[in-house]
Amino acid sequence: MNKFKNTLMPRTKKSDLLKSYNRLAIILMLIGINITMLSAQDFTTKQKDSAFLRNPNKEKTEKIKKSFAKAFKDFVGNDLYLLGTLDLSKQNINDNGITNPLNYLYNSVNSNSFKPGYSAGFRIDGVYKEKLSYSLIFGVNRITTGNNYLNKYNTAPFIEDFTHFKADNKFTTLSIAAHFKKLLPISDRKKYKFYAVAGPSFDYKISKIGNDNLVDGSSNRALINADLGAEFNNNGYYILFAHYKLGTNLFNSAVPVQLNRFEIGMTIKAKDLF
Amino acid sequence: MKKLPILLLISTLTLTLSSCNKEVANTKIELIQSKLINKTWYLDYTITGSVTKTFLGQSTYFISFFKDGSTKDSDGLTGIFSVVNNNGQYELVVSTKTNNGNNFNYTHLIESVGDVKMIQSYTAAGQTVKTILYFTSK
Repeated sequence: MNKFKNTLMPRTKKSDLLKSYNRLAIILMLIGINITMLSAQDFTTKQKDSAFLRNPNKEKTEKIKKSFAKAFKDFVGNDLYLLGTLDLSKQNINDNGITNPLNYLYNSVNSNSFKPGYSAGFRIDGVYKEKLSYSLIFGVNRITTGNNYLNKYNTAPFIEDFTHFKADNKFTTLSIAAHFKKLLPISDRKKYKFYAVAGPSFDYKISKIGNDNLVDGSSNRALINADLGAEFNNNGYYILFAHYKLGTNLFNSAVPVQLNRFEIGMTIKAKDLF
Repeated sequence: MKKLPILLLISTLTLTLSSCNKEVANTKIELIQSKLINKTWYLDYTITGSVTKTFLGQSTYFISFFKDGSTKDSDGLTGIFSVVNNNGQYELVVSTKTNNGNNFNYTHLIESVGDVKMIQSYTAAGQTVKTILYFTSK
């Protein structure tokens, strides 16, 4: 019995070993084939270098990505939306600080009404610390405004009312806005969400400033706004919104301007489009 | 080294924002000139002291200013003009020659100028009363 046992065990071990050798041989063959396939590819010198050498740009990008991810770790659930808006704008102009010999006939420059413009851009909607909903909006705005001049002058008896300043009523701005959103208890909130939004925004005029706008240091490219509005989110597919923006010159100006804007717009999730 | 990109960004922003003020320089004179040129200005009224004269609906004095700095008026005077800043007051300086070739120069104060209306004033030599001229461009 013992004899039989002694002769049987080595046999089984041998067959196991043979099996494993076969497997190893197959694996080695496959690896060999892979290596030959890989080596058959033509790499450029640049590719070879980047494969073996340290790539400082790549490392820097990775580092920046990591630091961004760390800095914005509390900003979660970010969705990218594309947006388009129609605007209605009017500016109130106070040219009290202007002392120049220029006259612009009041009736030809004053139009106390809202004029239409448009904007396009994108926004990122997300949640901060899983509590506070926000949206960051970046846009290019083509603004056409009605001009309401707060002061009238005249030199009796022969010249009718005039102003000392003529404001640009068409200009282009780049804007950035940070809105905080409060979910309103309206409708079925699993499907449709209504938000009240508020927050600051900043506009920078990028179009050429007219010569009439440059006298007495009245030119001011930067505008700061306070935004208020309402938004309707249809299950994350799109957002309809209406915003009111009240803006003024960021820096001191001889002609303080108050810019009133109504925006009606729509955003669509970028993922759904591309 | 880490601060370098931030410093660059701040300096770029500062330069961009501060550059707005540079746009102002000399604008006022250029603007006044732009309102004057390529137009013919017709004298509608004059006021000297308490005396008002109207020339509306009548053959009246007129003067044209051109882009190249030249001027010509209804009296046949031709010459050059410029706008100068005299202690914050803007003056129209005109140097002309009469039909006889005599020099005739004058300086008027620009009280107000626009696309359509202009008011000039001057005090004639030896007088104390100011004369105000009201022009309309056509």
